[in-house]
Amino acid sequence: FYWHCVQQHARFIERFGLKELLRAKLTECGWRDQLKAHCKDVIKEKGLEHVTVEDLVVEITPKGRVLVPDSVKKELLQRIRAFLAQHAT
Amino acid sequence: MKMEDMSLSGLDNTKLEALAQDIYSDLVEDACLGLCFEVHRAVKQGYFFLDDTDQESMKDFEIVDQPGVDIFGQVYNQWKNKECVCPNCNRSIAASRFAPHLEKCLGMGRNSSRIANRRIASSNNMNNKSESDQEDNDDVNDNDWSYGSEKKKRKSDKVFLHSLKQHIPLVSFIAVEIHVLYVVFLSTCNCKGANR
Repeated sequence: FYWHCVQQHARFIERFGLKELLRAKLTECGWRDQLKAHCKDVIKEKGLEHVTVEDLVVEITPKGRVLVPDSVKKELLQRIRAFLAQHAT
Repeated sequence: MKMEDMSLSGLDNTKLEALAQDIYSDLVEDACLGLCFEVHRAVKQGYFFLDDTDQESMKDFEIVDQPGVDIFGQVYNQWKNKECVCPNCNRSIAASRFAPHLEKCLGMGRNSSRIANRRIASSNNMNNKSESDQEDNDDVNDNDWSYGSEKKKRKSDKVFLHSLKQHIPLVSFIAVEIHVLYVVFLSTCNCKGANR
């Protein structure tokens, strides 16, 4: 029981680490700035005063998914597979 | 996304690959949402378009690097040697000594309560030695003692709150850990019911 708890905890921490890794890589490769520029267009279109989180999410998320560079995607998938292999005991 | 609470060993490769893709798209979506929230907040707080200011206006906000002047270009030791008049005792005090003088003059601040308590303690000792008028003196001293101990309690409360505030990052981390353990506990309860 105890070991199971430790495993679950390790998985949680690993998930969190993967999140941070992805964010760092995306900032590094300019993905953030690209998307921010797209955000500016959305804001100018909807108006600074009236733009909502929903507006941004609907416009930005699909583009964001597409804009992730292949190298980043590959590396992240590699790490995820390794992580899953590690914990498939 | 909920924590996976089933064992991974039973899954074959295609399912593991699908799981990996799921986790990946989950992570990307998380990053996108994070960006949306940040941008939305920047828009609502009014700092989103700050880096779009033209070169001319940017020069107004450049960091100043001259001697005798702070980074905003203001002179900072202009009033160091001016003299102020204390509103309590009407004495003329130098500006750099004004704050400590005011502490003692008004009877507030950390040191003045310590000095006052010491004076009370020494005068209490002197009064206990004299035999006449002992009751009257004791009453007067009782009031002073209770006031002093109230001050001490307030002071220690302030110190406690301040040290607690410094530990807020630690406290939130502990809260996350407790939440994790709670989730783990729930999932293991489910596991125990199903597999084990």
